[in-house]
Amino acid sequence: MSSATAAAASEPVNPRDERYLEVTGVTKRFGATVVLEALDLAVGRSEFVSLLGPSGCGKTTLLRLIAGLLKPDAGRLHVDGDDITRLAAHKRNIGVVFQNYALFPHLTVEQNVAFGLLAQRRPKGEIVAQVDHALGLVRMKAFADRRIAALSGGQQQRVAVARAIIVKPTLLLLDEPFSALDRKLRETMQIELRHLLRDLGITSIFVTHDQDEALVMSDRIAVMNEGRIEQLGTPGEIYRSPSSLHVMEFVGQSTRLAGAVESVSAGVAEIRTPLGVIRAPVGRMGARVGEAVVFGVRPESMALGDRADGDFNHVRAELADIVFFGAKTALHFKAPGVDDRIQAEVARVPAGLSPGSQVDLRWPVTETMVYPAP
Amino acid sequence: MSTTTETSKAQTEPVPPWRRFDSAAIMILPGIVFMTLAFAIPVLNLVADSFRDADGLTLAGYRKVLGDPYYVGIIWNSLKLGIVTTLGTLVLGYPAAYALSRAPPRLQVLLFALIFLPLSVSIIVKTFGLTIMMRRDGILNWLLVTAGFVDRPIRLVFTEFALYFGMVNVFLPFMLLPIYSVMRQLDPRLTDAAASLGAGPVMTFLKVTLPLTLPGIVAGGSLVFSIAVAAYVTPGLLIGDRYMTMSQVMAKAYLNIRDFNLGASMAVIMLTIAVIIVFASTYFAQSAGRKGGPS
Repeated sequence: MSSATAAAASEPVNPRDERYLEVTGVTKRFGATVVLEALDLAVGRSEFVSLLGPSGCGKTTLLRLIAGLLKPDAGRLHVDGDDITRLAAHKRNIGVVFQNYALFPHLTVEQNVAFGLLAQRRPKGEIVAQVDHALGLVRMKAFADRRIAALSGGQQQRVAVARAIIVKPTLLLLDEPFSALDRKLRETMQIELRHLLRDLGITSIFVTHDQDEALVMSDRIAVMNEGRIEQLGTPGEIYRSPSSLHVMEFVGQSTRLAGAVESVSAGVAEIRTPLGVIRAPVGRMGARVGEAVVFGVRPESMALGDRADGDFNHVRAELADIVFFGAKTALHFKAPGVDDRIQAEVARVPAGLSPGSQVDLRWPVTETMVYPAP
Repeated sequence: MSTTTETSKAQTEPVPPWRRFDSAAIMILPGIVFMTLAFAIPVLNLVADSFRDADGLTLAGYRKVLGDPYYVGIIWNSLKLGIVTTLGTLVLGYPAAYALSRAPPRLQVLLFALIFLPLSVSIIVKTFGLTIMMRRDGILNWLLVTAGFVDRPIRLVFTEFALYFGMVNVFLPFMLLPIYSVMRQLDPRLTDAAASLGAGPVMTFLKVTLPLTLPGIVAGGSLVFSIAVAAYVTPGLLIGDRYMTMSQVMAKAYLNIRDFNLGASMAVIMLTIAVIIVFASTYFAQSAGRKGGPS
């Protein structure tokens, strides 16, 4: 399966495939509230793109606009080159897996899955065979005659996926489909669904407010905030070089510190902070001397020790908390003049370390993410 | 951990006898006592009356009511009145209930007030209002003439049209409210899901909305039908003796000709019809609900 993906990635890409779904200048207002503001998004064929953002950022509205369940106030939507802006939802052939699954409670599993084929007036024999195949894909064959209410959350989700993919939709939209599942099941289902959709090659748009889910499942993530896409990139790009303070804080943990730029040379700024001078690359931002900035450091970038050579920043702080997570342990530090806790992650807590200890911390200069102060 | 032990202790402790009664079952006692006095005893008395007259046991009442074409026609009149009223309120009430359930919450409050308003007007006042409206110089005739449907005012009062018009008017809220309460629980995402699967509005209605709101239709329908079949005041005022119903026969039997056996027989037949309707529709609603109505 992974070899198939690699092969697909190395093939020359048709530009039309790169812009399989194209959202252009889409605006949506509810009364006086602007929910989406001239939003652009392009999704490639067979790509899995997550819309990640806090509730109220417009991600579900965007999903409903693509599905045709809402009409945009401005802008256009194209799928595979066809303008679908004015097309009714039931003529778009875009599948949706809803947050609560929206399975038909008066129908059996089988009847739910057959619904889309019935709508297409397919011959009965074909429907039976297709339903059987789709239920097989989601490993729900044994439950074909069950009522929806007799299924667990995970089983309902599988049925919802089977129901959506049986019509071979041009696009599959998933609206927080894991939010009702407990954590263990959620992790299994994420991987399972990701594999299924990749094998079927269905272009998918996935709405979530859960950053872990987005990181695990996506080819690319669109981080949304206040009706705009703040950053669109691979999970690695989003995590390692967030384009804004909001993206940095929304995706992953980070220690946030404030300071003022003292000098800039060769793309590295020296920032005066209550903890001393911190150096950070200012590539994208282009900081000016005297400017107030905020910077962040991921907990796994932090290491214990004082080797403060040219490639590392160094601070001294007091250990406040040791939080055990099993595979890793989080260390929380406090330092004078710093409001937030400084976070570090270690595999094992060194002997002799206890709350109250003064500890040397260091992290690579290149892993310091710096932004203008908000 | 501590909560687990408390729970298991509570489960193993013997329950004192006085607590074995389901407290919910006790709540029904006052109602049962009241209904025994106010309903069960009079009904038993009525059933007894239907099988006896001054000379002793008889089936004369039933023979008359079920054998005489005149009385059979009256039973049919009552049934027809119930059916037409039920269908009329359903046709008007179902779309209205849908609109109401999808209206913004503030508007729903206002619309609810408008639905309850007619219920608070005395049925006599309302029915007299209707007769005034339907007179030759009333507003309905004026509208018909102005719109060009008729050349000159037509007779409306004391016609079957007036009867059905008035009955639908009086009973509409009883149809609308049960349907509304089911419709409100209908998840709008189900119709979204149907659309995303390629179902047009007609298929979505027939395969999703209608089956899921069937319990509301059955509840509203059996309520309206069983009250409309027994209606007395509205038919009496809107059409009078031109359209005799079971209720009017009972009233005449008891009040005018003092034939208690005839009145009681008619009443028992009406009760039987009502009971059949209520049980049949409850069964129907439950089997629809077993298939997954939002009950």
